[in-house]
Amino acid sequence: MRLHSSVFHMAITFPNISATEDTAPVKVAATKRQYPGALVVVEGIDGSGKSTQLYLLKRWLEIGGYRIHFTEWNSSPLVKSATRRGKQRRLLTPTTFSLLHAADFADRCERQILPLLHGGYLVLADRYIYTAFARDAARGCAPRWLRNLYSFAPIPDITFYFRAPLDVAVNRIVAGRPKLKYYEAGMDLGISLDRAESFRIFQERILGNYDQMIESDHFILMDGTVRVNKLQKLMRQIVGERIDLGQFAPKKK
Amino acid sequence: MTRPDKNNGSNAAPNGGTALHAKKKVRPEAPSRFYGTPLPGVKLEELSGTLFVLEGSDGSGRSTQISLLTEWLESEGFAVQTMGLRRSFLVGEDIDALMAENSVTRTTLSLMYSTDFFDQLERRILPALRSGLIVLADRYIFTLIARSAVRGISRDYLHGIYEMALRPDLTFWLNVRPEIAFDREFKKAQTISYWESGRDMSLSNDLFQSFIRYQSLIKREFEYLSKRHGFIELDGEGSVSEVNRVLRKRIASHLGIRSTHYKPSHALSHLWR
Repeated sequence: MRLHSSVFHMAITFPNISATEDTAPVKVAATKRQYPGALVVVEGIDGSGKSTQLYLLKRWLEIGGYRIHFTEWNSSPLVKSATRRGKQRRLLTPTTFSLLHAADFADRCERQILPLLHGGYLVLADRYIYTAFARDAARGCAPRWLRNLYSFAPIPDITFYFRAPLDVAVNRIVAGRPKLKYYEAGMDLGISLDRAESFRIFQERILGNYDQMIESDHFILMDGTVRVNKLQKLMRQIVGERIDLGQFAPKKK
Repeated sequence: MTRPDKNNGSNAAPNGGTALHAKKKVRPEAPSRFYGTPLPGVKLEELSGTLFVLEGSDGSGRSTQISLLTEWLESEGFAVQTMGLRRSFLVGEDIDALMAENSVTRTTLSLMYSTDFFDQLERRILPALRSGLIVLADRYIFTLIARSAVRGISRDYLHGIYEMALRPDLTFWLNVRPEIAFDREFKKAQTISYWESGRDMSLSNDLFQSFIRYQSLIKREFEYLSKRHGFIELDGEGSVSEVNRVLRKRIASHLGIRSTHYKPSHALSHLWR
């Protein structure tokens, strides 16, 4: 495709599957980019500041009139009722939790993200497949199985990993919420009967899983404790360097 | 484990029931009860029940045979649990709703079926097998793999998802020609269903042609799966009583039941033709 600049090639990443537990490699289907769009994702545990930063990036691009679309995890109406039922009644096992979220993601991927990428949009995603890798592995799913499950997903051009110390992140969440939800706090794992304690341990495991993907999945590490506007300036600079924004700019008449 | 001979793999503990089943054949391609990564939290040595799977297209007589086998096994004193597609509490109804819409895409539908399958496996089948029951599955992962594969989803991907499924003790494939399946289905419902004729795949505007083409594609997948997974292939075009006799013989031999005599009760006699 005409838009494959050298910058794009640099950003093409191949997740290092052999780094996980098993020997047999899993084929990753979506490694060759075959669309003119670009995909920027933010990842990180709750309270790491990723959503704020992506919002500000989105505003910057919106105000500039760029062809962008914003998408976030768990927003598909198609599988919402199943997710709600499973969560309310606590029917979900690590496996069905993972599969249901994958079905939800597949819906968004096939009906939003892929058509937009083929249509030449810059797609901004608040959480992506790495959320599932980190979270579901913390629940006990096999990393190799998870990699295969999401192998239909296009690999992002940039993955920003927002990292804040566990205490900072956990305090931001706990302070802002009256009650942590059952699955959110990882109560299904039976780590602790105390919800706040369970949440903390669960987030710690997720954080550890994210950290392990930094190199293999080419994350750009962002320090979530840096002042908001300063961090945003850096984020915009990186996006400008790695993505040819000109191709998403408003067309001159 | 009731069949230690089939579980020579590292994660199977041979214990229990050895005398009864000592002469069973070893399937070298089946060292473990899972195809790959085991399902998290399952202790294989706890599973004392038996899993029999019946596969075959609509119109192959699967459901009829399951009703008859259930009655026969119960009369022999075995407790039976059944499973089938779209029967999970978690997402069974949601799949019905998704299929009624035309907006669902193939990967989403495929993964909803996986969710449905694993929900039943973890919350219905495994508890039954822990209690020593016989599970009769009206279709299993093979139908799910075949349906998605003919829609262009990679077989490796599908096998990767279902590698955490439990390997059945025996898998029967009731093989019928698509034309015969069409006759039987049409007789039953006076029409042919949208999904069973693969109309989402735009194979033909003619319903009969679409059905035949779709079922032929599925059949080709099954021929491959049959070789890979060692199905017991039965002629689904035979009479109900003949197919049932063969099924009983294979199941009885697997369970160590001597007598395979069976005559359906009055309640099921209408199925016996």
